[in-house]
Amino acid sequence: STLNAQNILDKKISITLNNASLINVLNYLQKNDGVKFIYSNNAIDVNQQVSVDAKNLSLKNVLDQVLKSNGITYEVLKDRIILSKMTELKAAADVKLTKQNSITSAEAISIPITGKVIDKNGQPVIGASILEKGTTNGTTTDVNGNFKLNVEGPASVLTIAYIGYNNQEVTVGNQTDIAITLVEDVKALNEVVVVGYGTQRKATVTGAISSVKASDLQDQQVTRIDDALKGRTAGVNVVQSSGAPGSAPSIRIRGITSINNSDPLYVIDGVIVDNGGIDNINPNDVESIDVLKDASAAIYGSRASNGVIIITTKKGKQGPPKISYNGYIGFQGPVNKPELANASQYAMLRNEAVTNDGGTAIFANPESLGVGTNWQDQIFSNNALIQNHNLSINGATDKANYYTSFGYLDQDGIVMPSISNYKKFTFTTNTSYKVKKWLTIGENFTYSYTRNKNSLNTNSVFGGPLSSALNLDPLTPTVVTDINGQPNAGIYTSNANNIVRDAQGNPYGISNYVSQEITNPLAYVKTQQGNYGYATNLLGSAFIEVEPVTGFKFRSQISAKQAYYGSKSFTPIYYLNSSTSNLSNTSLYLENDKNLSWNIDNTLTYTHSFGKNNVTALIGTSAQKESGSGLGGTFLGLPVNTFNESSPNYALPNANKIANGFDNQPYTLASYFGRVTYDYDQKFLFTGIIRRDGSSKFGSNNVYGTFPSAQVGYVMSREGWFPTHSFIDYFKIRGSYGIVGNEMSLAPFQYTATIGSGRNYVFGDDGLIVGYSPNAPSNPNLRWEETRTANIGFDATLLNNLTVTFDIYKKTTKGMLQTVQLPAYAGFSAQPSANIGDMENKGVELNLGYSNRIGEFNYNIGGNISYNHNEVTYLGDQINFFKVGSVQNANYEIGRTEVGHPVGAFYGFEELGVFHSQAEIDNYKSANGTVIQPNAKPGDFKWNDTDGDGKITDADRKFLGNPLPTFTYGINFSANYRNFDIKLFGQGVWGNKIYQAYRRLDIASANYPIAALDAWTPTNTTGNYPRLTDSDPNNNFKNPSNFYLQNGAYFRIKTLQLGYTLPGAWLKKADVQRARVFLSSNNLATITGYKGYDPEISGGIDMGIYPQARTFMVGLDVTL
Amino acid sequence: CKKSFLELTPQGEFLESNYYANPAQALTALVAAYDPLVTETGGLDGTYTDPLGPLNSASDDCFAGGGGSSDVPDWQAINNYTMTPAVGPQAGFWAINFQGVNRADVLLEKLPNVPGLSEDVLKRYTAEAHFLRAHYYFDLVRLFENVPLILNTLQISEVYQQPQAKPEEVYAQVEADLTAAIPDLPVTVAASENGRVTQGAAKALLGKVYLYEKKWALAASTLEEVNGTPGGTSTYGYKLLNNFGDIFSPTNKFNSESIFEIVHTGMQNYTWSNWNQFKSNVYVQMVGPRSFTGPIYYAGGYGFNPITPNLVAAMKGDPRYPYTIANIDSLTKATGTSYDESYQGTGYYIEKYAPKVKNIVTTGLTDLNWPNDYIEIRLADTYLMEAEALVQAGTNTGRAGDLLNAVRARVGLAAETPTLDNIYKERRLELATEGHRWFDLVRTGQAPAALAFKGFQAGKNEILPIPLTETLNGTQIKQNPGY
Repeated sequence: STLNAQNILDKKISITLNNASLINVLNYLQKNDGVKFIYSNNAIDVNQQVSVDAKNLSLKNVLDQVLKSNGITYEVLKDRIILSKMTELKAAADVKLTKQNSITSAEAISIPITGKVIDKNGQPVIGASILEKGTTNGTTTDVNGNFKLNVEGPASVLTIAYIGYNNQEVTVGNQTDIAITLVEDVKALNEVVVVGYGTQRKATVTGAISSVKASDLQDQQVTRIDDALKGRTAGVNVVQSSGAPGSAPSIRIRGITSINNSDPLYVIDGVIVDNGGIDNINPNDVESIDVLKDASAAIYGSRASNGVIIITTKKGKQGPPKISYNGYIGFQGPVNKPELANASQYAMLRNEAVTNDGGTAIFANPESLGVGTNWQDQIFSNNALIQNHNLSINGATDKANYYTSFGYLDQDGIVMPSISNYKKFTFTTNTSYKVKKWLTIGENFTYSYTRNKNSLNTNSVFGGPLSSALNLDPLTPTVVTDINGQPNAGIYTSNANNIVRDAQGNPYGISNYVSQEITNPLAYVKTQQGNYGYATNLLGSAFIEVEPVTGFKFRSQISAKQAYYGSKSFTPIYYLNSSTSNLSNTSLYLENDKNLSWNIDNTLTYTHSFGKNNVTALIGTSAQKESGSGLGGTFLGLPVNTFNESSPNYALPNANKIANGFDNQPYTLASYFGRVTYDYDQKFLFTGIIRRDGSSKFGSNNVYGTFPSAQVGYVMSREGWFPTHSFIDYFKIRGSYGIVGNEMSLAPFQYTATIGSGRNYVFGDDGLIVGYSPNAPSNPNLRWEETRTANIGFDATLLNNLTVTFDIYKKTTKGMLQTVQLPAYAGFSAQPSANIGDMENKGVELNLGYSNRIGEFNYNIGGNISYNHNEVTYLGDQINFFKVGSVQNANYEIGRTEVGHPVGAFYGFEELGVFHSQAEIDNYKSANGTVIQPNAKPGDFKWNDTDGDGKITDADRKFLGNPLPTFTYGINFSANYRNFDIKLFGQGVWGNKIYQAYRRLDIASANYPIAALDAWTPTNTTGNYPRLTDSDPNNNFKNPSNFYLQNGAYFRIKTLQLGYTLPGAWLKKADVQRARVFLSSNNLATITGYKGYDPEISGGIDMGIYPQARTFMVGLDVTL
Repeated sequence: CKKSFLELTPQGEFLESNYYANPAQALTALVAAYDPLVTETGGLDGTYTDPLGPLNSASDDCFAGGGGSSDVPDWQAINNYTMTPAVGPQAGFWAINFQGVNRADVLLEKLPNVPGLSEDVLKRYTAEAHFLRAHYYFDLVRLFENVPLILNTLQISEVYQQPQAKPEEVYAQVEADLTAAIPDLPVTVAASENGRVTQGAAKALLGKVYLYEKKWALAASTLEEVNGTPGGTSTYGYKLLNNFGDIFSPTNKFNSESIFEIVHTGMQNYTWSNWNQFKSNVYVQMVGPRSFTGPIYYAGGYGFNPITPNLVAAMKGDPRYPYTIANIDSLTKATGTSYDESYQGTGYYIEKYAPKVKNIVTTGLTDLNWPNDYIEIRLADTYLMEAEALVQAGTNTGRAGDLLNAVRARVGLAAETPTLDNIYKERRLELATEGHRWFDLVRTGQAPAALAFKGFQAGKNEILPIPLTETLNGTQIKQNPGY
């Protein structure tokens, strides 16, 4: 190190500055000559004026010139130069300072003390500042953490400070060698939380607010920002209901708040965007996501009851321009495919079903048919490409900051990628200028373009590749080379001009057994080629911020979102099977829609502290308007037969051009709001919020709604009596209560009496006249749904490193919108809406975070778990339940929303296993001795006679489970050692069920799941799968029952990532600040008992959802 | 100042407060009042709601039929007289007719304030509204007896305050509405307005109402104005058609025998996505034989309302038999073709509204675009009603005989004495499956005997149960006795 020190001091420097401040000199040396200085602001007055004039002199020479003459001494530690005050001079100064008071004290100075500053791991803290309290006497620690200082006497108090650690004070007493252990500042508490129209320090926040920071997100390869929330925070349940590229997940904050609409409100940089609005944000541009879960959401009033998700995008950071690239490329494949019967198994099972019904076997020799076609293998791609590239430039000076980024995503789907692909391009730029000390202006602009191919008709039993692959028989070949060898050769020859063929001109196989919407997926794909939807979004805002007097801040922001979206699709002439064909006309459909929403927000904030009282008051107004329209057209009979050739330019008869269009009903909102936050010594905390929302959707008796909330907090750990050296470092309890609204479920003009059309009549020969009449009486009382939300929780920091957040809440929703079932004699053509219906959500949330290091091994562990119980408590006097969910040809609905049960709970019969023998049927008797299922046969389900009436009727149905999880949880682990890092992130759910409806009930010849091989037969009397039968007299298959329900719990490793940061020495040569390469996998492993494509299903009914991909990626992060 | 920012007007939708502002809008309101006359599907209870299906199912002319015992349960329930407040065709009848009442009430309230409406048009529309309200209330009082009498549109707050009126009050209102309508209705209408109410239609309906009220003399005198000289052409131009079979042909709409015709169209290309909009005649589709492969009839019928052996026997030898009953069984046997027998099938199907190949529309889905009209009041019916009234009144049995025998002579039958029994018998054969039989049986007291084989209970099944939802939730409505 001596050599190093010497090297630095020998460095040749040229510098000429007259009457510059010391800081400027130091910065100049630091910037131009790479010299680093460490000093304490308390010890060194960096604003003192100095002069220096050096031409090619050694650094030592320069420093001596600048520092020594100003009473500053220095030491070289490795590559740094530590500045401290010259003690001799200090002594002289102290004499001056103390002279007035006491002459003797001038002689009593200078007790020399030494000390060492270490962190909790015993590592020296280099460059910590040591200051004698109440004086300017101070120094800094050296490379070993040691310091020397002369202090006045035993009464002196030393203040030790270092960035990232809590300040510490030590009374000297009779110590001459003082050991000081600095405690790391708990970062989380200094973090800022965005609370809507402003921010608050986390330490004094009183609401239940979860935050996700860019640092948590940056290494997760998500294509949408809402996906990044999954498993990250307690109380926020993100369910990706489709693995189709670009598809939006459903987000529920603290359960389902309404039977109508439970989507949270999204706010991006103060701009309120609708549900689809966040599609257009590049996840890489996001600085933080804050989720208002409780009454703190009241600042957004009538739209807040489902919670508020506030997204803050990145802004330029202090420093020279920084250019960053990050990107990855990867391959995606399916994780799980359901097992289905192969050709010979299928033939055997079909024979079984037909003979059970008394028919004769269809297939003479099933064994000879081999395995046939595995349609599952046909529809999935094991190496679907995904690539994502992001480039950003940012920087800031004292006066301005700027941030610009470009993003590009191209993702193929894992199911039939030629019709499943998503592309997104985003561009964003924002700047702000501090024009005057009191004036700041700025703007933010985002452009995004998405193009989405998604013609798969997923989670539907009515066709599409997934449903077809589940139901199509394995006997049908993918491609037919020998038509005459097919049992249905006639179909091929009679439709020769219209059947779909592969590149070689061979027809794709057409099933001889399964028809309707179930078609050869390879042929289906050819009929959907090219079809896409698109969206262009422009999101812009500009603001002005004026601070005329310190403490008063006025801010005005105008924002707008303009969206253009539409689609293009082409239907060629095709024949897929007898019921799925288009033989008449080709058709081209084009649609272009647009949507504009804008808002203007004005806020005035006043911040003031007096004594230990700190007050921030906010008042504001907001106005918003939304409108939109669209136009679509169908062009029939184009003279071409492929998407690529199709165009509306072809001349067509007017009758072949059919237009349709719409105007969205406009919507306006005008609001006033205020918030007061007060704390006393950061110990007693209070927040009060009130918002008054006027909405064009509300009835004339309720034009304005008022939404108040109050929150209190108590930071117990700041009390004098709180033990200072216990394991609890910080402890805050808090509570909140408030009323928030939901107007999203309210359609415009529902409150007013409108005239409806379609009340037609015919006069004369075929002269139809369109009639108009009133729809429903007006309901001027119509208003928002209201949710009362109460929350109690605590935030704590334990053992320096462990943060705990715990919440318990209850949300009561009142006045959910429903259609009023007015008596029919009133004669209205439609029924009005009214606020009827209540619901309740109760839950508990726990968030834990722990970080520590062992030598150079740094690690973080975090976890969260939440429990929610949802219950419908009232649906009005007329209705006890709503039917929810249906499956083609099932005898009854699958679920019910009923008072006393969760929304959409599964409802049906309970099977108690199959009857293995006639004796079991005969012995299944009711209390009075009658045989309950006299018509059953061995192999049929034994149904639970729930009501005990001795018969199986629809009254025997009961609630069978909840489609919503009761527990959701997430864990994450990240660590780094030297240049290596690892991230592991997993999430899961527990307590829900999934209704699997893969097999078409109305197509007897649909393929069977592999479990059907265990069906009861006279030779397999121990089989536990019901006997196969097409007529199904016992309703084994047609009754919705627990037979179709499976446990939906799962735990999934969402992200596993290994990174390597290139050594600084290499990068320096290339003038690169940071470079990191990584290998990453999404959805690497899932632990679940669910036997289907994917247990992550929104709504709990699986009819062939698009499963999520397992992805392997390689990526690069570079910062210049 | 912000309030106006929040007051928006809907796009592409009229506010009730701004509507009824010109004669064109008044016409659309009138059309809306006619609309419930043809509520083929959807209705207010989302089911198939044509009135002929339940009325024929209830009578001794037809069974419910269909694909099985649970095919259209409302028809099966009235066929078996197992109706409960929750199950049966009453929900459709009740809701559609009250919807009609409401539309007529709207019209009567709005018309006087429509700017630019000429005096003549105002009078005519008002008269039509009165006729339509009477028509809807007549059905309601016949079917339910105890119904609330609502003569203006209700505010939500008034909805639950409506008591049931006495049946005689309802009848009085029906008479008053028709009496008010008659002078302002046109004697004839232009071809393009065929199907709109005429003076003759209103008088025919009023005569029918008097008949139901057993006001024989009034019934006879009112119907006489409609009928004119038996066999001749009346003041209103009504005359019996020479060929009985021509009455029901969709190529012979608005013929001289038609007094009030419920119009249907085959030109609207309805598809299954138009459920609730059909102004085609779905009943035609419903009564066709199932999976039929023979000639004449459409192959894809649904097999409802097969004819009872009782009616077949009654019509044996009658010249109207082949125009009333389609003997599908013998047709298929004779032509070596086949069909699937309906539930409760007899081999005999309705001929008057049968789906015939020659009536299949040229464009659109066949099942949903049958063009056949339903003639609700025709001259033979008013002849027989007048004859019955005359016999009951005992005033002019000579004219009664002329009326009866004009109907018989048209199909080549010999004259008979105008006794009540003969008139009743003639009504059955002349008007079979046209929706009158069940009402006739009930009002003449023959129902308990004639419908015993279907489970009809005297003193209960003369009227329908009131739909369950109407008696719950704090309404003033009491369930009909026995239900």
